[in-house]
Amino acid sequence: MKHLRFLMLGLATSMACAGADLRATPEYVRPNPFGGIVDSDRHGISGFIRGQVTLESARAAYVSCHLVAVVAEGGEYGLEVNPFPAATGIRLDLYREWFHFLPASNRYIPDALIPVRSPYASRLPEADNHIPGQTAQAFWLDIWVPASTQPGEYATSAVLKTGSRTMPLPIKLTVLSQVVPDTDAVAIDHNTYGTSWFDEQYPNLARRYGQDFSTSDAFYKLIHAYHRVFYEHRGVFHQLGYGHAGKVGPEFAPQLEGSGRSKHVSSWEAFDRHYGPLLDGSAFAQTRRGAKPIPFAYLPINPEWPASYLGWGEPGYEREFVNVVSEMERHFREKGWTSTRFELFFNHKKRYKGFEWDGDETRFAGDYAYFREYARLLKAAVPADTPVKFVFRADVSWTMEKQFKELAGIINFWTCGGGMFGWYDYAPRMLKERGDIVWIYGGTPAVTEPLSAMAVDVLRPWLWGIDGFVRWLTTSPGPDPWNKFEGGTETLVYPGEPFGVEAPLASVRLKVERNAVQDLTLLNDLARVRPLEKLKVDAAKAFNDTSVEDWRTPRPPLADGNPEDWSNTDVDEVIPKNRKFTTALQPAAWQHVREYMLELAREAK
Amino acid sequence: MTSRFALILAAAGLFAQTDDRTQALNRVAQVATVMVDGDVCRRIQTPRSEGLLTRVDPRDPWAAADNYDVNHAEFIQVKKTLIRLSHLCPEACDVNLWMPVAAAPDRVQIMIRNVYEMSQFWNWGALHQPMPAEMKKVLDTGQRVTVRRRPGMVSVLAPVYDSLGDIIGLVEVVSQAGRNPRENVK
Repeated sequence: MKHLRFLMLGLATSMACAGADLRATPEYVRPNPFGGIVDSDRHGISGFIRGQVTLESARAAYVSCHLVAVVAEGGEYGLEVNPFPAATGIRLDLYREWFHFLPASNRYIPDALIPVRSPYASRLPEADNHIPGQTAQAFWLDIWVPASTQPGEYATSAVLKTGSRTMPLPIKLTVLSQVVPDTDAVAIDHNTYGTSWFDEQYPNLARRYGQDFSTSDAFYKLIHAYHRVFYEHRGVFHQLGYGHAGKVGPEFAPQLEGSGRSKHVSSWEAFDRHYGPLLDGSAFAQTRRGAKPIPFAYLPINPEWPASYLGWGEPGYEREFVNVVSEMERHFREKGWTSTRFELFFNHKKRYKGFEWDGDETRFAGDYAYFREYARLLKAAVPADTPVKFVFRADVSWTMEKQFKELAGIINFWTCGGGMFGWYDYAPRMLKERGDIVWIYGGTPAVTEPLSAMAVDVLRPWLWGIDGFVRWLTTSPGPDPWNKFEGGTETLVYPGEPFGVEAPLASVRLKVERNAVQDLTLLNDLARVRPLEKLKVDAAKAFNDTSVEDWRTPRPPLADGNPEDWSNTDVDEVIPKNRKFTTALQPAAWQHVREYMLELAREAK
Repeated sequence: MTSRFALILAAAGLFAQTDDRTQALNRVAQVATVMVDGDVCRRIQTPRSEGLLTRVDPRDPWAAADNYDVNHAEFIQVKKTLIRLSHLCPEACDVNLWMPVAAAPDRVQIMIRNVYEMSQFWNWGALHQPMPAEMKKVLDTGQRVTVRRRPGMVSVLAPVYDSLGDIIGLVEVVSQAGRNPRENVK
């Protein structure tokens, strides 16, 4: 996959020298706007790369680094990255890194990536980023190596121009014969809720269409663009289409008419416009990964849709549910939408006062009966031999151990709180042997953490032998991410509108996550040359000097008590704080895994 | 017809529509006072949950939310009544149930919300919140109160009585002109 070697020719540390300079850093070392490195990435880093960037990559993969244009006296500059020969198929993508100001720490950290064309010309300080005394501009360089590229050595260069001076930086790329498999070793899911935030994040677009925005092509294009940015980064994207009291966004569900016996779908127009290109894969036709249907999609089913809660517990509820869900199954089958898993999933919580039971993170055992009832209704609605994949998903925390037992055969897609799931060492095998899908969930590391923290959530599910990880909210950058950034724990993308892009912008953290998924996918594939368990032991050791067991929490005595008596604090306190996962986590942690994987890849045939 | 005259006519039409809507909501609110059973409402929240609702635990700031719980049968009974009442509205409306917090008389909690997820009062996600003056008036006097706080929204608040004749809560019958179908889908 990739490998960035430090060729330290005249080591520079944190301060720019007088004049101008073109430098590089590995992907896990973020530059700051003053010619240095951001605080969290300095640990164990001896300096910038100068003289030559040396990269190594498998095929069907990206390899990345930061380029840093340093112009100590400020003023005009230009950056050009020369392409590799066209016949190689290797492509370059260049992004300008936005330096977000974080008032809490009075620091600038790069994250949002603005696509730019090479050659790029500008001046320092950059007019829009408004950084007093800015002397350096960082760029993210993505190099795409398609599966068709011949293994071998390739070379190109980046060039910084200031006034009459020209500073080249050679880039050498070694392409290995190994090809990264198309199917990822783990699914990294990116979640969001509804579309009402489009108006806030794309105010000009919303204003242009006015009342017609939500029915415009631009609106649907934006939805698809969000799916695309995560797909391009080897991720999954989920967008929940209903609220805690059952309100369904019109684009997330077919339109219904009638009640009781006569309830039926009256129009598929908005649903098909939304989901059609996602479910047949055409929304991804222009991507490097190619057209492919989304692997998962939430259904709009909730206690108030498609059946009115007025009939709950009565024959009319079942009739309304079965009528509509049967129509959905038939529609999906006729359209050939048979590779996506359609999720019956309840997100509501009783604390939001819509319904009397917790669909999400169920805490009270009295609520389990609802899951049994909906499983019965789904079975009544869907033919046993349907080729359409319906799954029943539950996001569980407090009582997951009890739910694994009592809802066996009812729930077949578990999304588990990552901390607590670590207590139950038998659970991954038990659930996987049943054929269930198993994910864990959590948040997103802030930009103030080392970038290697992004890889923890990629590595953990693989070490545990489960299927994926969900970041619970990934599209909410806050009211002013550009100038008053809150850290980005609820986003991995940014609205592109301020830069003339009516689509989300990727981030440094998303790129790092993608590269980790890519590396892990190839490492997992190398189980053909070395036992999988050995790969896991070595990867954990390489990442942060841990054993696979260190990634779990021994079952605490608390786990044998009544979950209704637990508090969040109780749970938090019994999960040990291992410094190797937090303050002692090295910025280069993932690089060590990559080097291990590359070593195996070089040896493998 | 001058444009000014046209504007006056349009404004008059708008007021007439608003007035019609308010009257319709008011009629539903009046029926709600008769139909919603205050004794059942009192039994919706479990005693354990009620006991934790306002308790401040510095060690566990989420205790009230994590332990929020209701009795299923009572919740369902009242919710179905509220849904039926909403069907009396000539246009999309919600009938929400609000109840004062027993342990904190200056606070109120929404107890049941409904499918359009409309309210002029609910602070999204709040388990309980300060008692608005309009609600206090309903609880103190038994009068219905009409509220227009948010653009396009009209709420009529009406009392809910128990078998002793005490006011134990209130309903908010609410509708909105130009309703945003995507708001609160989160």
